Amino acid sequence: MGLLVGKRIFSIVALCMMVGLLLLPVVVALPSLAIGEETHAGDAAKKDGDKVEKGRDVYYKTEGIVSGAPAPKTTDGVKDYPRYNFESRVLLWFANQQHLYYGSFVLAVPIFCMIIEFMGVVTKDKALAKRYDQLAYDFIKISLTAYSLTAILGGILIFTFLTLYPAFFSYLSGIFRPVMHIYALMFVAESGTLYIYYYGWDKMKEGFLKWIHLSMSVILNIIGTLLMFLANSWIGFMMSPAGVDEQGRYLGNIWHVIHTALWNPLNLHRILGNMAFGGGVVAAYAAYKFLASKTDEDRAHYDWMGYIAMALGVAFLIPLPFAGYWLMREVYAYRQQMGITLMGGLLAWLFIIQATMIGILFLSTNYYLWQAMGRMRGAEKYQRYIKYLVFLLACGYMVFITPHTMVMTPAELKAMGGQQHPVLGNYGVMSAKNGGINVIITTTVLSFVWYMRGNKVSTVSWARFGNIFMGVFFGCAYFNIIFLAVYGYYIPANVRVGLSVPQVATTLSCLFFMFALNSFMMKGAKQMGPIEWGKISARSQYALIMLATAFTWMMGLMGYIRSSVRLFWHVNEIMRDNSPWAYTHTVGFAANMISANVLFFWITILFVFWLGSLTAKKVPVESKAGIPGSVPQPAPSH
Amino acid sequence: MKALMSLGALIGVAGLLLLGGMIFDVVPSNTVRLVEGYMPIQLLLEVACYVIGFTGLSYMMSAMGMALPRFWQGIGFWIFLMVYLKYRVYPPIPFSVRAMYGTVGLVTVFMWVSANEEDWKKFKQPIMNVLDAQTGMNRLLRYAYLVLIPILIGGFSFNAMMPKSEEPIELRTVHPAPPASTKVHGKTYTLQTSQNPYRVNPEGKYDQEFSNANIVEQGMGRLMKPNANPWDEKNQGYLKYVREGGEIFFQNCHFCHGDNLNGRGLHAFAFNPIPANFTDPGTIAQLQETFIFWRVSKGGIGLPNEGFPWASVMPPWEQHLTVDEIWKVVLFEYWHTGYYPRTWD
Repeated sequence: MGLLVGKRIFSIVALCMMVGLLLLPVVVALPSLAIGEETHAGDAAKKDGDKVEKGRDVYYKTEGIVSGAPAPKTTDGVKDYPRYNFESRVLLWFANQQHLYYGSFVLAVPIFCMIIEFMGVVTKDKALAKRYDQLAYDFIKISLTAYSLTAILGGILIFTFLTLYPAFFSYLSGIFRPVMHIYALMFVAESGTLYIYYYGWDKMKEGFLKWIHLSMSVILNIIGTLLMFLANSWIGFMMSPAGVDEQGRYLGNIWHVIHTALWNPLNLHRILGNMAFGGGVVAAYAAYKFLASKTDEDRAHYDWMGYIAMALGVAFLIPLPFAGYWLMREVYAYRQQMGITLMGGLLAWLFIIQATMIGILFLSTNYYLWQAMGRMRGAEKYQRYIKYLVFLLACGYMVFITPHTMVMTPAELKAMGGQQHPVLGNYGVMSAKNGGINVIITTTVLSFVWYMRGNKVSTVSWARFGNIFMGVFFGCAYFNIIFLAVYGYYIPANVRVGLSVPQVATTLSCLFFMFALNSFMMKGAKQMGPIEWGKISARSQYALIMLATAFTWMMGLMGYIRSSVRLFWHVNEIMRDNSPWAYTHTVGFAANMISANVLFFWITILFVFWLGSLTAKKVPVESKAGIPGSVPQPAPSH
Repeated sequence: MKALMSLGALIGVAGLLLLGGMIFDVVPSNTVRLVEGYMPIQLLLEVACYVIGFTGLSYMMSAMGMALPRFWQGIGFWIFLMVYLKYRVYPPIPFSVRAMYGTVGLVTVFMWVSANEEDWKKFKQPIMNVLDAQTGMNRLLRYAYLVLIPILIGGFSFNAMMPKSEEPIELRTVHPAPPASTKVHGKTYTLQTSQNPYRVNPEGKYDQEFSNANIVEQGMGRLMKPNANPWDEKNQGYLKYVREGGEIFFQNCHFCHGDNLNGRGLHAFAFNPIPANFTDPGTIAQLQETFIFWRVSKGGIGLPNEGFPWASVMPPWEQHLTVDEIWKVVLFEYWHTGYYPRTWD
């Protein structure tokens, strides 16, 4: 009893410490911020007598007291751009990308842990609850080693900035001084919370203590998300500066500097992207372990783990294109030329590649689900219809990847009679592409619904009506999406942009209503047979690896696009990049660089996985063979 | 069910005969016309009809005891897709796009034939038979592949490496990114916020809704709206400016951009690439009016470096036209094509 009380006190103290750590940066930063402002204003007043110089915010158009130096006008030389006998930008690109990969991973995985641990806590089935708990622990175990690597890569990134781009980094850190301090303190808070969360797992595994433990994961994720938001403010500032005047002088309002035109869309897009990426990586880990498994129990466990990770990743992948669409819309609204450079100009080809990658993600997901239906008895009835889903996916995908301006030889150009193909050129514009991607996502939702009811037969009295309703609902959804895509050609562009809303609403309606209806119909449904975990084809696991690789590649690609849209600016329209590398790389070079980054990440993450496996206790493998249809057992205890 | 499948099979046979005719040039590709304005969706519907047809055919053949093995079904469908794209769609699709579609086709055929274990086994069977080579025929085939595959790879490699005299392919972009502002005849115009001074309502105020109500109708024929004829001398304001823009267009621009603004003017085919087709939904319909103003004013020579490679011989029209004339031409182009300039509200 005394031990329990002691544990409780320990847990509450730990939780309070975390909240304290969370609030510490804010408390520390507030007075320093106020002092900083006063000092700046005071200094400025002393220098100019009683006159204070005022500047106009380039974005908010408000007036403010000039409180910082103008953006440096750099020149190509070792003073502003010290270098090795190598392209500095490529080195920075590499360091940045690796840090981002690991950063995304360690921010996403604790969110998964939180969700899975919560599922474990609320599940009444004790065996299932234990499985969930073990899975959450497996996840956090993987992310712990990755966390150290993230910090190391962050250090490398800062050193790269300081040594290769000192003028630029000095300017950026001058503007973001308080934010960078808060960031560093929050990192400390994140580390402390993570370690208490991980090492306190066994001590707080039951009852009230478990809830405290779960609360820690919430705090951990709040800190992680805020960290990411702060880092996003730097890139948001570089793309769409605010809070400074035309010369780049800080005007004293740190919120303006953080809250730039693109900050919020970037935040949303990155949260979803990180989650999808994290799901992909964990799914690939599970796939790798599945393929390397020697026993049926292990295969069952990793099959289940891969499925959960994939489902979570895809849950965030589905809204990701819509968040991306919002980001692009805000980019266009912020600067037309930036939007055109991205979508219709210099970087347009990269968007075709991006579309290809998005398609691969959804195709892999669907393929995995169809394979997964193979381990259910009773799902055979859906197999014969899969070819029609393939057809829908193929049509949506082909429309989605069709370029508006095609790569062609001069002879083909003449034969075609113009730069745009009169038929296929129509697939190259946004209206058709919105239709294509929504068809793909709706089909993915349909695959999920089939999967969820694969081995079940509804026993509710209105089952027949429910099935017809679902069929009609999906039919109407496809019709509406395609109709709006066609209708988009006959209305003004600004109205057409708005058509994406009903298209998205249609897709999301399918997602939420059909999932909900399906759940109601399947309540108390007759089981045709158990899900035979571990009895899935190896192809499905390669699909998961494909999914993760495509995520990684696409993240690298999109990061490159977002960064290179500034063209020859360090800070858009404020600080010019005068280094010899202020040009846009060829598509081929960029693709090779992204591939190299992806390869490096996967090699190092395999090392992380291997390290993770070393911590697992060796337990003798039981000699009994796996029983088909049995539920997967948790991996050895931690 | 059988009746439906028979109908499907009939469609399949008719479709295949038609396609066969197109391959051997017996039936012209445009026998079944691709209708302007409906072509993209027509294409998808046609392919959907073929899929229904093949389903019917497959059903009927199975019923007659002549089921086509899954292996040949997969290969056959992929070949159909490639043939359809090459011989049915006109004008011809560039190889790069057919290659993209072909790859997607291949991937999706694989997804179909391997969606479940049973199908995958059926699909693999002929390949495994050849690899196992248990019969004389299969052994022969295996040796044939052993010889043919390296030769094919060698042939492809030789073809890829062989020096060619063709002009190189350029990844040309349609819309070069514009600057934030442009200076024309000594005045600076901010592209994000400037407006066409002639897009006005009868009260003389900027009014895009009013002008949108008076443009020609889209779709086939591009007919003028009743009481919205710019060539009616009685019309003033917006329609008068459209008329004046039209006069400037036909004096200066139509030689290249064509009477119908479709990029097929008298001199169009002397250039490579040919001039922009304004009736395409991907050109002026996608852009703000100020973008067109900038492009017309600065021409090909005034394009920014980041727009490279940019092959455009359009003259910088600010050297020949006044600012007012340029705005009026832009007004006319939107009126004639029936498109609305892009706005961000």
